[in-house]
Amino acid sequence: MSDRFIVARRCARLILVSSAYTALAAVAGAAGPGSTEKSFDTTRAPRISIINVNGNVVVRGWERAQVHAIYRVASPRAEVDIESFPPAGAAEKLRFSTHLLDWTLPGKDQVADYTLDVPVDSSLQIRNPQGSVRVEGIQSDSSVESVGGNIMVGDYAGHLSVQSIGGDIELVRTVGNVDAHSITGSLHFVSPAITRLRGATTSGRILYEGDFLEHGEYILSAYSGDVEVICPVAASYELSARTVKGKVINSMPITRRRESATPAGSAYSLLGVHNAARATVELTSFSGAIRIRPEGP
Amino acid sequence: MPARPRCHARYETIMADAQKKAACIQFERELPACLEGELLPFVPAHARECPGCAALWSDLVWMRAAVKELPPAEPSPVVWAGLRARLEAEGVFHSPTRGWRFILAWPLRPQAVPLAVIGLLVALGVPLTLPRPVLRPAPGPIATESLFPSAPDLVTAEDRVLASLGKELETSFRAREVSMTPELKATYEKSLLSLDGSIRECLESIAAQPANTLARDYLLAAYTSKAEVLSSALEFEGR
Repeated sequence: MSDRFIVARRCARLILVSSAYTALAAVAGAAGPGSTEKSFDTTRAPRISIINVNGNVVVRGWERAQVHAIYRVASPRAEVDIESFPPAGAAEKLRFSTHLLDWTLPGKDQVADYTLDVPVDSSLQIRNPQGSVRVEGIQSDSSVESVGGNIMVGDYAGHLSVQSIGGDIELVRTVGNVDAHSITGSLHFVSPAITRLRGATTSGRILYEGDFLEHGEYILSAYSGDVEVICPVAASYELSARTVKGKVINSMPITRRRESATPAGSAYSLLGVHNAARATVELTSFSGAIRIRPEGP
Repeated sequence: MPARPRCHARYETIMADAQKKAACIQFERELPACLEGELLPFVPAHARECPGCAALWSDLVWMRAAVKELPPAEPSPVVWAGLRARLEAEGVFHSPTRGWRFILAWPLRPQAVPLAVIGLLVALGVPLTLPRPVLRPAPGPIATESLFPSAPDLVTAEDRVLASLGKELETSFRAREVSMTPELKATYEKSLLSLDGSIRECLESIAAQPANTLARDYLLAAYTSKAEVLSSALEFEGR
């Protein structure tokens, strides 16, 4: 098989994949059959709440002082209520809520999917017990809550509170203060610029990929899952890694302050400083492993 | 025939009286609605023709105008007390209680169940986080189905009350989970199972190493998480 043929085949595959992604993006961004599309003039920083039952919720920030909503309900026995305050003029508050006319509806008929474009400074409150939530490009204080759905937040700045009892939480390029909690789901922090982070899960794992800010405080706790931190060698932090039954595996150069069992009775611990201790990092687990390693292969 | 005009006159008198009486009856019937603002032209029209009804009409119109001029009056405290007693008797609301009576009153209110769970666990957390020189070993294996496994130092009367309250809350939660969708129920069950396991392991760890503060922290965190999960489950009931 000639090199030219291989290159041509790869190009064709790339074009096909790109076309497929473009088509998917178009479908996701446009109002499809059965969808309802509405626009609302708002203030620059409105409060927007979405109270859903099941389905996917996507919220994206944009520069306009306007909310553009596309939603679709799976059953005629489910409807979307929209409340705007004040009722006339630019809305300061907008509330979208899925209202089931029949609570005995099977799960698939409780589905309502939302796609909202909102002002970038919007404050969000999203509750979607049985569905996923995706938030992108917001600069404000928000809370996102689910029971079984996954939550993804990207390019976010502000105070963020995220909770999912059974779903995974992924935060990409988040700036500000973050509280992230799950019970059986995993937490994944990618390229964060967080000054204060609280992350906890019971049986999920925690993966932190990125640097620590000066004066930043990072507290990550897993029960049976592993806690893994991958940071640049140039990172500067004071580390406290403690586990009851697990183990601490550190691959970063560190000046140890104290090691092994502490007087308080923690089975394994590692206390030390990497570089100049500009940030505080506290990692704990009960039976999971704690790993700290540098970026790269 | 002289008798005929007399009879006719009498008939007309009787008919006039009857018509007048019927008009007065209609006036009286329509009067309350007219005074409340309903447009009923017969009432003032009849008042202009009938002296008796006119007197009644003018009195009521004057009283209505006079009442509008009066400042709003606060009902007597006796009225309020009677009203409150009646509403309490009908269960519309309850008198505010304090201290333990307030906590013990919570299970009677379905909306307070999640808050009561948190209160229970906060109270449980206090003795767990206080330093103690000696910790008794755990009294045997802990039932996995229990939402609130007994901590080894639940000995005070207050703790017993809270433990009892916890059982009631557990029953409440189990009774409500039937209304959840299978997917939601499965998520809650999985998370509660995970938390029950962590509570059990923490208690065993603490029993083996009473001074292990990290295990104590995890135990408190597990109780708190469980309270949050239960609160969430009760909040999303049926969803």
